Formats: sequence, C-alpha cells, structure tokens
Amino acid sequence: MLSHEPGDTLGHRLDPRTKLAVQAVVAAVALAHATPRWLLALTVVCLLALRGCGLSVPAALAEYRGVLPFLLVAPLLGALRLGPPWVDPAAAIDPLLSVYRTLLLLALAAAYVHTTPPRDSRAAVAWLLPGTVGRYCALGVSLVFRFLPLLQSDLRRLRAASWVRLGDERRVDRRVAHLAIGALARAFRRADALALALRARCLSWNPTPPALAFEWRDYAVLCVAAGIVAAAALSLTTR
Amino acid sequence: MSTDTEGVALVADEAVANVVRAALFAALTGVLSYVSFQLPVSPVPYTLQVLGVFLAGVFLGPTWGFASLALYVVAGAVGAPVYAYGASGVGQLFSPWGGYLWSYPFAAGLLGYVAHGRDGLTPTGEIPLWRLAAGLGGATVVIYAFGTVGYAVFAGVGLGAAVLAAAVPFVPGEILKGVVAALAARSDRLRAA
Amino acid sequence: MIETDGLVHRYGEATALDGVSLTIDDGEFVVIAGANGSGKTTLVRHWNGLLEPDAGAVRVNGTRVDADLVAARTAVGMVFQEPRDGFVAPTVGEDVAFGPENLGLSREEIEARVTDALAAVNLDGRTAARIDALSGGERERVAIAAALAMRPDHLVLDEPFTGLDAPARESVLDRLRALDASGTSVVVVTHDLRDVLAPADRLVVLADGSIVVDDTPANAIERLDGLPVERPC
Repeated sequence: MLSHEPGDTLGHRLDPRTKLAVQAVVAAVALAHATPRWLLALTVVCLLALRGCGLSVPAALAEYRGVLPFLLVAPLLGALRLGPPWVDPAAAIDPLLSVYRTLLLLALAAAYVHTTPPRDSRAAVAWLLPGTVGRYCALGVSLVFRFLPLLQSDLRRLRAASWVRLGDERRVDRRVAHLAIGALARAFRRADALALALRARCLSWNPTPPALAFEWRDYAVLCVAAGIVAAAALSLTTR
Repeated sequence: MSTDTEGVALVADEAVANVVRAALFAALTGVLSYVSFQLPVSPVPYTLQVLGVFLAGVFLGPTWGFASLALYVVAGAVGAPVYAYGASGVGQLFSPWGGYLWSYPFAAGLLGYVAHGRDGLTPTGEIPLWRLAAGLGGATVVIYAFGTVGYAVFAGVGLGAAVLAAAVPFVPGEILKGVVAALAARSDRLRAA
Repeated sequence: MIETDGLVHRYGEATALDGVSLTIDDGEFVVIAGANGSGKTTLVRHWNGLLEPDAGAVRVNGTRVDADLVAARTAVGMVFQEPRDGFVAPTVGEDVAFGPENLGLSREEIEARVTDALAAVNLDGRTAARIDALSGGERERVAIAAALAMRPDHLVLDEPFTGLDAPARESVLDRLRALDASGTSVVVVTHDLRDVLAPADRLVVLADGSIVVDDTPANAIERLDGLPVERPC
C-alpha cells in the first residue's frame, strides 16, 4: 500500500494546497474534455508530476492493483449489444477514454499521497475549508489517522480470536456480527477516553492556524495550472 | 503563570464526544473497507465498507452520521488509506466507483434520520425493527443510485450497463451487511457502551 | 488553590462522592488513595470541569470551575490513567503542542512551551519521536509534558505508575519531585502507596465517596489498618 515517504523532491517541497489544486484542475479538465487530444496533454502533465515526485508509473498504479481489474469491465460492457452484431467496438471508445482518465487521476493521487505527510494534509484542509467546517474536518482527519492503526490491530486480534471460538458457528452473518460488535465495543471505550483527554486539553474551535506558506515554486506550479484551466475554458467556448 | 483565556471558543463537551465518534466511525469504515469476503451467490469479492456506513447511521444519528462519512470522504481524498482495498486520493472521487463514495454521507444521514427521527438519539436497542429495516433499505437505495449514476458518468457507459456492472452483483452482500448492522443495533453489549 | 466544597456526585442510583470537602494549596504534594470505586477519580475530574456536580462546588484559584472552564483546565493539568488512549498526535512534539495550539497562542510561544515542557520531564529534543515507539515510562512522561505545556498551577495524575517497572516509576517520581520543588502543586491518585509517600506532604484516603483520612503521611500511615489500600513495603 502506498503511503507517505519522506523525501526531498520538488513534490515533497510543494505546499499541500498547491498539490490539491493541481489534482482538482486536472480532474476538472479531464472531466470536461475526455477527448484523445486533451487526455494526451494531461498525460504529459501527469508524467511530469510523477517525475517531480520521484515516483515511477508502475509504482504509482501499483497501489490500485486491487481495483484496476474492475476498470476493464466498463469498456467490455460498453461494447456489448443485446442483439446482432452483439459486439460494437466503436461503443467501447468512450468508456476506454473514461478509464484512461481515471488512471491519470489515480496516478496523480498516488503522487500526492507519496509526498504529503498527514500533518500537511490536515493543515491544508484547515486552510481550504472555511471556519467551523474546516476546523471539524482538519481535526477529524487527524483523528482518523490516529484511529486507523488502533482499529486495524483490534480487528486483527478479534478476527484471530473469534475464528477460533466460533469455529463451529457456520452462519457468516453471526460471525461478522460478532466481529463487528467486538470491534465497536472496544472502539467506543477508546473514543470516550480520547474525548476526555481532548476536553482536558481545551479543544477549541479557534486554535492557532497551522504554519503553511507558499513559496516561489508554488506560484510557478499554480501559474501552469491556471494556464491549463484557461486553455480548457477557451476551447469550451470556441467549440 | 495563568494564560489569557478570553477568546478561546471551547468545543462544547457533548460536541467533543460527537466529533471523536464521527472520526471513529470514519476510521472504522476505512478499516472495514479492506476486510473482504466471498459469498457463493456472486463472483465479486465484497468489502465491509458499507457496514461502516450503516453502523454510523445507526449509532450516530442523522447529523453526526452524515458528518462522520463526510470526514471519511475528506480523509480519503487527502491520503488516509480508507477507500476500498486501502486506497486513497482525490482521483478516486472521479473514478467509476466514485459515485459510491459521494453517496456514503447521504446514506448514513438518511439511515440515521429514519432510525432516530430529527431530534435526539433513540437508544439503539429501542429502535423499532421496521425503522431499522426501512432505514437500511433506504440507505442501500441511495448508495446504489449514486453508485450507478457515478459509474455511468465516470466510466462513460449507458445507465443499463452501469446497473449490470455496479449494482446487480453487489446486492446479496448488502443484505448480509444490513442484517449485521441490525444485530449490532440490538446488541446488549453495545447498549451499555 | 483548589477548593472542593460539599461535593456530591451520583452515577444514576449510586453515590460516588458523598459531600467531599478538600483544599489543595499551591505547591503541595498530595497523595489521594483509596480502593477501586472509592470515588478518587471522580473527585479529581471535577477539578477541571470534566464532570458536573450534583451538589457542592469547586473553585480553582478563587473562580468557580463552571464559570470559566478554560481557566480551570489550564490551571489544573490532568494526566489520565492509560495515557495511550489520550494521545492526539503521532509524534511527541505535535502532541505536546496540542493544548497550547487550542489556546490560540503564537507559534513562537507554542514552541517555547513545548521545549520547556519536554525539558521538565527529561525528554529534551525528542519532539520528532513517535509516541507508539516509546516505552511505558517515556509515554507517561510525554503525557505529563502535554499537561505542563498548558502551564498549570496544579498537576493531577491518575494512577501514573500502573504497568511501570521500578526504574520507570523512579524516573516519573523524580520528575514529580522536581515539579513540586519548582512551585507546581502535585496530586497523585493511586491505590498503591509504594514510593509516593516519601515526597508527599499529605495523604488523603477516600472510602465509599467520603474522606476517611487526611493527615501527614507519618500520622496517616498509623491509621491505614483495615482500609483498602496497598501499604508501603
């Protein structure tokens, strides 16, 4: 599974807000213009981005190997016809372009995850979303990161334990329910202990804002992104 | 030694507990999304992700159920490994299965609303069975409506093909997850907690 | 100063505190002992407003706790049993900075407080260390540092020695003595009196929600017979 790796590439030194903006721009343009020409142009952008983050294409896509087979279903389904001639290859083109667009977006997302520590993501969320919503999401994101490893180990232990104890219980719903209830009971206790600690430490809606600052390289990247948006908008209006 | 305390807007005690539980269910949904199992009636592997959505609706109610799954979507978008098979990233929201992700906050909110009503939480053990069943059914419909439309839009296929690819194979698994959520809602062990 | 006056707390039918009055002076080192369920954890959780009294009141530095929660929670630092569940962030520095950040302090001030707090528990320069990689004793000291970063006048620790081996207990106790010497009052809640009596000014024993002993350790120790606390060896 791909996760944050410390490093010193351009991607690592960019502000997280810049990286999120680039992803949003590429996603918007790719959704508006799913044509071969535009997707080719965006492919260049994505390859440059991966390069700038020190990530190879196979490494970027390896994270998604669990879901990639599902991507192939769309073109196959698109080409099928419920009558003669049964298969219509031309109808597979749109789904193929969509699948390709998805690959581009997933690769960029992988580059972001690879270069951005959770702390920076939390800070970016606090900056990008307004007021209470931003505070809630930023705090919540950091708590999600905190709970994940705890819940994973809880679940592993419970699974091992209940598989032994419930060896003769055949019904899969009972097994899963037993697992879920055990995990929940434990998780509630952890959550209550953490809530108490947060209250004791004056959890507030208006904490010191996280330290984030744009530098020249962020402005450069944002300019390129703005250029892409402008070009895409222009071609929409002249089409 | 004392600190200037004016201007510190404390999060109310009850809200602290809710924020923590919202994050907890977001993380739980993430962990469940890489527990997968197989049923003999369908070739696809099921993940338990949607069980997290159901549990959030049942245990947190409409407002915090919605907030919890919104957090799940945001956390996954900025890199927490919580989406199916432990993936993450903004790109997932625009992938063929992105519609499911968009649906989760609304599904949890709807389930919470049907199970608990607008104001206050009913103790989970006392939610009438018909409300649980209706809420779980409604949430499932929301998830598959979003999921199917998302598949049609983001994979560039027709709606009919999207139903075949994105809904039909998964329905048996949802029934199982609904039963599990109902069992959890009626568990004595959790009522005490 | 923490003034507890006629405090009553009930959990449903059960009475956990039955009219407790107790004053902790600035700079005191107090040990609160009692069996499980005697009400000692409930008592200290009223001091920073984590619980609401059914009757009676608590004042911290002259102000009622319910009138200014932020003041009470900064003046009374609380270290919980099982600090593992109370950490907010993955690294030592981020966790210790959490409290000051929520007070909205400037970045420079936060950094100064984190440095001071870590120095006070002998963890200088460990800001980047991951909390889940620390030993039990180190983790306990990080939890103390997190409370100290609020610059409290009083530090309350709930069962700080649970699960610690002798050297770790000694390192925690050593830091508590140093804090007490620097003017912070220290309150240790425990069911286990080994080690903590030597530095203590006072020993308070709770049983069934009432104070049964409140005296200097030397005098109190005579009266512990028949009370449900572990005697010092």
